[in-house]
This record gives sequence, structure tokens and C-alpha cells, in this order.
Amino acid sequence: MTNHRRPVAILFSSNQFGLLLVVIGFVLAFTFGTQGFASKFNLFTLGRVVAIDVMIGYAMMVVLVTGGLNLAVGAIGVASVMFGGWLMEVVGLHPLIAVPVTIGFGASLGWINGYASVRSGVHSFIITLATMSIFFGAMIVLTGAQPFRALPQEFIQFGKMRVFGIVSPLLFVTLAVTVLLVYVFSYSSFGRKILAAGASPAAAELSGVPVGRMFIYGHAISGALACVAGLMLTMRNGAALPSMAGQLGADWLLPSFLAPVLGGTLLTGGVVSVIGTLLGAVLVTIINNGLLLLQIGEFWVQMFLGLILLAAVVLDRLRSVLAERRRATA
Amino acid sequence: MNTKYLRFLAGAAGLALVTATGASAAEGTRVALVPGGPHPYFAAWEDGGRDAAKDFELGAADYKVPPDWELSLQNELIESLVSQGYNSFLVFPGDSVGTNSTLNELGDFGIPSAALAGCVEEPTQALFCLGTDTGNSAYLGTKELINALGGSGKIAHFTGFLVDPNTQLRIDAVERAVAEAGGGVEIIQVIADIDAPEPADEKINAFLAARGSEVDGIVTTAWIPAVVASTALRNLGDKRIKMVGIDHDQVVLDAIKDGFVHGTMLQNPYGQAYIGSYAMNLLNEGCSISDDAPWATTAQTSKFIDSGTAFVGADQIANYQDAMVKVTQEIMTTFKDAYLSCK
Repeated sequence: MTNHRRPVAILFSSNQFGLLLVVIGFVLAFTFGTQGFASKFNLFTLGRVVAIDVMIGYAMMVVLVTGGLNLAVGAIGVASVMFGGWLMEVVGLHPLIAVPVTIGFGASLGWINGYASVRSGVHSFIITLATMSIFFGAMIVLTGAQPFRALPQEFIQFGKMRVFGIVSPLLFVTLAVTVLLVYVFSYSSFGRKILAAGASPAAAELSGVPVGRMFIYGHAISGALACVAGLMLTMRNGAALPSMAGQLGADWLLPSFLAPVLGGTLLTGGVVSVIGTLLGAVLVTIINNGLLLLQIGEFWVQMFLGLILLAAVVLDRLRSVLAERRRATA
Repeated sequence: MNTKYLRFLAGAAGLALVTATGASAAEGTRVALVPGGPHPYFAAWEDGGRDAAKDFELGAADYKVPPDWELSLQNELIESLVSQGYNSFLVFPGDSVGTNSTLNELGDFGIPSAALAGCVEEPTQALFCLGTDTGNSAYLGTKELINALGGSGKIAHFTGFLVDPNTQLRIDAVERAVAEAGGGVEIIQVIADIDAPEPADEKINAFLAARGSEVDGIVTTAWIPAVVASTALRNLGDKRIKMVGIDHDQVVLDAIKDGFVHGTMLQNPYGQAYIGSYAMNLLNEGCSISDDAPWATTAQTSKFIDSGTAFVGADQIANYQDAMVKVTQEIMTTFKDAYLSCK
């Protein structure tokens, strides 16, 4: 179907533009409505949290586009960084070597998820539900739940640095990954194959797309991104901590779903929005931060986040219906 | 339609939030008392902070609880409190190493902090650690239990979160007290990571069902296991098993009164908050940490101040607060001269 609308109209009607307006609205509200939102300290810490939350969102997004789920994002993140902590502290590898090896380890854990799901034919929801316990349990057994606390200073300092006094360099890592993901999903045949496999596996198979392999790649990328998020959190904490993503890594589940679903990535697969995921994570982090500054009560924040997820899922359902209608009329 | 809807959301949110707020300007010393997560032990911090704010005319000494036991949530809460104008922090470390990262950043911004009720590992910018000597408390409690058992028997130890820096110290201290008993006492089980109602209820009751006839004594070194074990012994109607608990939950105190529990090891959370807030105010007013302060040393820190511990049995139950009030007064009398250098 040919779209006769002008590019400006398309931009204004896009989900990302609407999300951007909401983000701007909340930024203005919190800037004028709270004490300290626009302070240097808050902007620095906010940027650091955003950088990590966006990466967690990306880790889930790349599996959602295949029509799958990765409940093990947190378990992979924490298991990977504990491996990375061991490499740096016990083996003595320099961070420049240890970090890529650790990311490769995270990707291999994601690959296991994808391979198990494709080969068994069992939905990734079940597979990753099992592997989140397996990965986390193995990590606890192997490390004795003891953190790695003597990590190289050059690694830890990266999480504390301030560019121009207020910008965390972790944001640059996230922006670099954002550019890479936009390129992959918008301009590369590899990305289009993943999207095609997620939209309709049967049709993609008939078109010659290796659907199973695409699913496995999606999970492997997810594992790598979860690991990057874990490494960023480790830089921020100054130690590789078994508890950093909560029991079984479950603390990452809510932010991992919120960002892509708010951003316009369909839970049914086949549609991705990298910028939307970025904006979704920014929105959630800003709301979280602003509510804390408003002193509404720390326990209310959790309830608000749950309500936001519910609203996001309803929006996702609306988008699915609209997408189906467009396909039907095309 | 989608865009209109989102625009409306943005406008409504902005309007609501701008009109809803009422933040006040920071004045004087504003102390934030931040535990690692929700837990009844810390409830007395609120009273201690409030009384200190009143007695020493602080801008604030507020109790701020992260919604869950997550280091990230605690870090984010502390960061938001800095933005709100709090200029002194008393923190129970969510992780004895991980919390250092945040406390060191506070120090870099010229904001003093100290560890309260649990210590952080050195090196750290936390100025001191004020808390129960948890190892000593567990050791003394186990000694009391061994005495109640007549010097021999099989005991079980129920304790707190593995991520709590105090837990391993408690496990080691109970083992030390048992080792000193000369072989007459044996630890038949240590159950850790149960300082929450559900796991404590499940694991303690399962233990008593399976090995209740085998065990002669129980020592608990965390709040919720003490409450659950006291309730379980009352429900069983078992006065044969001797138990020494910890803290001052009413369930434990009633069980001591009724003979189901031998006694409890008191801690001093009120005093921690009160003394800590007093100290942070003096530091904000220009005092500094004294070079020759009489610090105690623990496995984690060389700047430890014991906030006090005492055994309370059935004989002392009517006036159980007296012991901690006395300790708090003693520390307050000498704190400024002993630990601080003020011009």
C-alpha cells in the first residue's frame, strides 16, 4: 500500500513522537515541580540509570521482535558479570580483554536459550523460565554468592566519570548500541530477516529466511545486551554483585518489558522500535526519579510502574489491532 | 488519534505534577536515615531521628525506606534524596561493598555519611560505623543458651539474609561459642536467608516438624526468624526446647513472659538513629572525626562504635528498655569528646 501522507504528518502521527511529547511533558513538570530534578547531581545520576535501563530494554526488545520472550535477561546479566568479575579479579585479565570475552559469554548464554527453544519447539517463555533458574543457580553455586570486589580501577572509574560535569559516559555506550541497533533493524538484510521471521515464521520460511537461525541470533544478541547492561551496573556499583538484579535476576523483568512495550515493539513480534524503546526507558526512569523527588512515597513508585506496564500492554493491544487492520486492507 | 492521546497525557501529567508539589528549601542539617529495605528492625529509626531533630534543632532527620531489598533501589533513593537537599546520610548498607560506591560519591560532593546498624568494607568514605557488635551479640546469646541447656545439647541457628554483611559474622560467632563449650554442644543445622515472613515460616516449621524432637535449643540472630520461631514454639506448646531470640518484637517478649522462649538479645536501633543524627549534625557544624578516637575494630571496619547489646530474660522483661536507654545515655555523654574534634 502506498502511503500518500507527507513525511511531517507521518512523523507527527508516530508513536515515538507522542512518546517524546510525554517525556518532555514529564521533564518540564518535574523541573518546575520538584526540588532538585534539574540539579547537576540528579542529571548525572539520572543519565546513568537511563543508560542501564535502556540497555535492559534492548535486551528484551531483540527477543520480542522474534515473537519470543527472554525471562532470563537478569539471570544472564548477573551470571555474565560474575564471570567477568572472575576474569578480571582472579584470572587477572585486563578489562579490554575481559569485557569482550564477558560479552561473548553473555551471548553464548542467550544462544543456549534460542537453540533450546528452536530445537525443542517449546516457546521461549518456558525455556527462559527454566534457564533463569539454571543460570542463576549455577552462578550462586560456583561463586558461593560472594561478590568480586577488587575489580580494576580503570573499569570501575568508567561508571563514575562525568563528562562536562553532568553526563555519564555510560550514556555514550547506550547511544552507540542504539545507533547499531537502528542500523541493523532499519538498513541491514539481517535485521529484516529477523523482523520477517518474527512477523510470520511460516511466510518467512517460504521466502527462504532461516527462521530458526534468526530466533537463535535474536536470543544471542539479547544475551550480549543483557551482559552489557550488567557490566554497566557493575561499573556503577564498583563490584560484581550476585544480588545486583535481585533473586533469579527477576528485578530486571519489569524495566525490560516496560521500555520496548511503551516504545511500540509488538509483543506478537515482527515490529520493532529502537528509538521507541529508548524513549520508553527514559520515560519510566524519569517518572521513577520524579516521583521519588516529589516524596510521594517510595512504595507508591512500584505501584505506578505496574500501572504504566498495564497501560503499555493495553496500548500494545491497540497497536496490534490497528496493524492487523492495515494488513487486511493492504 | 494516538498522538492526540499522548499529547493529552503529557499535558495532564505536567499540570497535575506542577500543582501537586510542595518541596521546601533545605535548611541546616538534613539527615536521611536509609535502611537497606523494609524491615521491622529499622522502625525505631523513625522515632530516633524525629527525637534527634527536635532535641538538636536539625532541619530534618527523616527515615526513608527503599521499597525493596535491592541495592539499585537504595542507590536511586539516596541519589534522589541528595537532589531534595539532604546533606547527611546514615545508611544501612544494601551491600557491604556495593554501597561504598554511593557513599564515596556522596563524599566527593562534600556530603558526609556513616554506616548505621551494619558496616561497609574499607576503604570507604563512610566516616564511621555505628551498630550492634553483631558477632558479640550472637556470641553472648549463644552462651546464654548453652548455660540454659546446662552445657550440653543439640542446637539450631536461624539467621538473616546472606546479603546482610552481619549474617556471616553471626554464623561465625555462634560457632565460636559452641566450640568453647568443650564438645558438649553441637550445631545440627544453620538456616540462613530467612529474614522474611514466608521463607522463615516455611523453613522453621519444616525444621521443627522434621527434627523438633532432636533439637534441644534454638538461637535466632535475626528479627523475623525470632518471631516465627517464638510463634512456632508457642503453637507446639513446647517448653522443652530452649530458645534465645533477638530484638524486641512483642511476639518474642510475650513468649519470654509465658516461658516459651528463654530470652532475647536486645539491640539499640533507636539509639543508633538518635546518636547518628546527633553526630552528623556536629559534623555539619564544623566538627571533624578525631584522630585518636577510641574506635573498635571489626572484620569490616576499623572505625566501629558499638551501639550496645544486652540479654533480657523473664526477670528483666518488665523493664527491658532500661538497658538500651542506659547505653544510649552513656554513648551520648562521651561521644563528642571521644570521637569528634570540634573548634
